[in-house]
Amino acid sequence: MSRPVPFRAVLRSEGTKLASLRSTWWAAAGYVLVAGGFGWLAASTNPSADSADSALRIALIGFGFAQFAVVAVAVVAATGEFASGSVLASLAAVPRRVRWLAAKTGVVAGAVAVLTGVLALVCWLAARTLTAVPGGVPLGGAVARDVLLQVAGAALTAVLAVGLGTLLRSTAGGVAAGVALVFLAPLLLPLFGSTGEWLAEAMPVLRVGADPFLVAGTTGPVGLAVTAAWAVGTWALAAVLLVRRDL
Amino acid sequence: MIELVGLTKRYRSRTAVDDLTVTVQPGRVTGFLGPNGSGKTTTMRCVLGLTRPTAGTATVLGQPYAELAAPMRSVGALVDPRARHPGRTARAHLLALAQSNALPRSRVEEVVDLVGLAEVADQRVRGFSLGMGQRLGIAVALLGDPEVLLFDEPVNGLDPDGIRWVRGLLRDLAAEGRTVLVSSHLMSEMQDTADHLVVLGRGRLLADVPMAELLGADAAVRVRSPQLAVLAGALQRAGAEVSAQPDGSLVARRLGVEQVGDVAFAAGVRVHELSRTTTSLEAAYYALTGEDVEYRAGER
Repeated sequence: MSRPVPFRAVLRSEGTKLASLRSTWWAAAGYVLVAGGFGWLAASTNPSADSADSALRIALIGFGFAQFAVVAVAVVAATGEFASGSVLASLAAVPRRVRWLAAKTGVVAGAVAVLTGVLALVCWLAARTLTAVPGGVPLGGAVARDVLLQVAGAALTAVLAVGLGTLLRSTAGGVAAGVALVFLAPLLLPLFGSTGEWLAEAMPVLRVGADPFLVAGTTGPVGLAVTAAWAVGTWALAAVLLVRRDL
Repeated sequence: MIELVGLTKRYRSRTAVDDLTVTVQPGRVTGFLGPNGSGKTTTMRCVLGLTRPTAGTATVLGQPYAELAAPMRSVGALVDPRARHPGRTARAHLLALAQSNALPRSRVEEVVDLVGLAEVADQRVRGFSLGMGQRLGIAVALLGDPEVLLFDEPVNGLDPDGIRWVRGLLRDLAAEGRTVLVSSHLMSEMQDTADHLVVLGRGRLLADVPMAELLGADAAVRVRSPQLAVLAGALQRAGAEVSAQPDGSLVARRLGVEQVGDVAFAAGVRVHELSRTTTSLEAAYYALTGEDVEYRAGER
């Protein structure tokens, strides 16, 4: 009898799948251009700031739009399987469906985390180079925390979006739901009074923490916890239904 | 070996597979026949754990599919030629699946050569013809060098060369002692390929018989002679059931072709033609499923 397949083999397989689609690279290019480009622009139009922390936050502003790329890639990683029918081959190869979904999610979230980390450091470089702050913008304390929050937020958004894609099995539906959750709802809900503001704070957002982009922002840890709860909840529901439903 | 015990799959309004109990044995090609919608694909998907049966069990090599340690090393399947992402190259598709079961990369090159896709392996499968898609699907099934193989309509869309190649492949795989289950609606194809038949009709098992038995059940000897009446009498006395045909020949059942020849010789009858007529699989198949198909057509 053959030996069980190690989890890293399934991870490698999902890595090949992600890297072998052209759409992945287009989305990555868009992410780099928007997050990096806007970051550099924002930093260059912000000649001075009071603190290293706020200088970095301005430079990170591009992520507010760039998150579309994260949502799109992560949703499509799941829905592409269902839309094309390749899920039949995938799950015949890896019949333990939660394992399969975990590998797919891990690869997508991992890739998003790495790219976000690099981009956040680029934005930090922009802030350090272009924005005058008393004492400079050292990579430590609040600055390092914001970079890590950005990475964690992006990775959690990817988890959320893979979950949405697996639940809805439709690219249009998944991307729409993802964009509504992490972008439109947190931005629009505060227009509807204090209840709306409260609801907005309960929505997952890619840019967690006190964000100049958002009307209603929470503190970093709270925002991260809210986004994590959404990501874990959606993903768990997706996993349960994936196991229960036929293909 | 594939074992189905009481396998049943009900959807809201219809029963796709109804209490199916079949054992598919290794070392021979088992043909899986039935009209469209008779439950062949659903059965195969239940075996692969893609569809959850309402009742009953499907096991492969004595285990439920999901519990196989490295599924592709035990079971290879062509479920649907569309089971691939159009934006991926054939090689990337195969590599991702090979990696998922910890199969070596070299295996991808082997199956690409084996199915004759070497020249197009780096093209996106979006542009593949139906036949190339089938070859890719077969390559996926062969990746893990499995003991059990399931092919759902493998010759769909293949050219005559491809069909001949698949026939040889299936026969070779069975000759190596593997379990081969292949569904097809091409009767003549099945007649040349399968050793054993499992026939479904509206989800129920209609037959689970060796091909020779199904075809032999209606075997007969056809004989032409200028002395028909004498010959008919002699054959009847020898125990044959004789019927005169509109074209002036006789068809004798229950006697072998040698015996009919001997009887004619003993009776001193001149013989102008002596041949064995086997029924075609198609005729035998319609004898089995005829009512079924009529019923369906009448319903619509």
